Amino acid sequence: METQYRGAVLGGLICQTFFGLVLVAIYRAMYAGKPQDMPLSNITTYVWLQQAFFRMLLSTDTDLLDRIRTGAIAYDLCRPLHLYGYYYSRVLAMKMTGSILRALPMLVIAALLPAGWGMCLPASVPALLAALAALILGMFCICALENVTMGLTMRTLDPRGVQALLNLLLMTFSGNILPLTLFPDSWQRAITLLPYAQMLDAPIRLYTGEYALGQAPAVMIIQLCWTVLLVAGGCLLWRANQKKMIVQGG
Amino acid sequence: MSYIFVDHLCKSFVVRKKREKGVLLREKETVHALQDVSFEIERGELVGYIGPNGAGKSTTVKILSGILVPDSGTVRVGGRTPWENRKEHVSHIGVVFGQRTQLWWDVPLLDSYSLLKDIYRVPEEKYRKRLDELTEALQLGDLLRTPLRLLSLGQRMRAELCGSLLHSPELLYLDEPTIGLDAVSKLALRDFLRWENAEKGTTILLTTHDMEDIVALCSRVMVLGHGSKLYDGGLQELLTQYDTTKTVQVEEHQNIDQVIASMYKNLGL
Repeated sequence: METQYRGAVLGGLICQTFFGLVLVAIYRAMYAGKPQDMPLSNITTYVWLQQAFFRMLLSTDTDLLDRIRTGAIAYDLCRPLHLYGYYYSRVLAMKMTGSILRALPMLVIAALLPAGWGMCLPASVPALLAALAALILGMFCICALENVTMGLTMRTLDPRGVQALLNLLLMTFSGNILPLTLFPDSWQRAITLLPYAQMLDAPIRLYTGEYALGQAPAVMIIQLCWTVLLVAGGCLLWRANQKKMIVQGG
Repeated sequence: MSYIFVDHLCKSFVVRKKREKGVLLREKETVHALQDVSFEIERGELVGYIGPNGAGKSTTVKILSGILVPDSGTVRVGGRTPWENRKEHVSHIGVVFGQRTQLWWDVPLLDSYSLLKDIYRVPEEKYRKRLDELTEALQLGDLLRTPLRLLSLGQRMRAELCGSLLHSPELLYLDEPTIGLDAVSKLALRDFLRWENAEKGTTILLTTHDMEDIVALCSRVMVLGHGSKLYDGGLQELLTQYDTTKTVQVEEHQNIDQVIASMYKNLGL
């Protein structure tokens, strides 16, 4: 078992380093052809931070959906537990361990890369602290979003279709496919308000200094609003689902 | 009022069928899983709940544990209505579904148990005592540090039972607990259930297709068929009533399945 965990961490590390290098190479090529307003070092930092915290975005917990499909959810309902709270903490724990295990070595690798390829230092110490705070808030926000996704997919017994669609939205609007800073300005005004942008995009911008320190409170208020909204919505959705849930077979 | 009080319980499901060619809408069929079922069970009883597949046994158990909401009828368990205050209700009951697992697949039993302890908020000292007692009665001592996935079916069932009894529930539902077990494991399981019932006064409702479980454990049997209760009373009376050959004694276990089969036939199932 331990070998499997170590293998997963190592494999993820190699995979994310490869992706990061490819992406940085693409942006370097793009900048060589037509430089953008955003400095290249900001983009490479953005790429590396996205790669380091990749596990935070991707939902990997298929357990609940399996349990619903097989009917094992009956056991969860036989426990004196708040079902939403139980799964929220599960998701949070998985994302935290997943991203901490991967982020630390990734950041070391990114810092060791030569200038123009690797990551730069934060804009300032307060900026780093603000980014960290925003990252934690973003973590709460993405867990809430994931539970909403789960609540929606719970309604169909085989959720792969709905989930593929929602994951595409997530990957696009969280800046994983293309850094949000490279979207047209008019787009950015709308996109940065979406919950997807609160997870990694906002903390990264605080880190690189693209959001000035003065903007930090506003950013965090948006994050907080989304978190509260998504948790409340998720709770309602789950409660409604629970009423409709029929445990199959057995 | 009795510990478990069920009065005029009804539950139906809508099953949608595949649309046939040339028909606009899918055909719907209503399956009456439970029709007007009533019974009472006293505290400390060990009751067998039998019936052919699809009779509505599991549906009853699910309603009694608060997972399903019935269409109509009254249910009180220990003075509570199961589905109205699910969280409060389930902290007093334990459930074992023989075909599913409640423990965590990849972690040692001890870790699963300590998580269950936290979920049910069992005080540390009480948990230690109960765990010692259960591991001894279920002979789990050597297995506590083994992950669930490495256990055999018989070991797993014992581990499941331990998991569902850690919080000392007043009431235990067992849904086919002996399914797939070998003779030794079955006997051990029955001994344990008898012990738990006698020593701890835990009320047990046992659903099974293994008639020997019933013979070995239950003095009272309820028979369910097509969603209605068909019989409720002593096992011996049931067998003499439906014994077509009039020769079979309860002690002669070989023929008990035949007696039950003829009983189902007589009852028109």
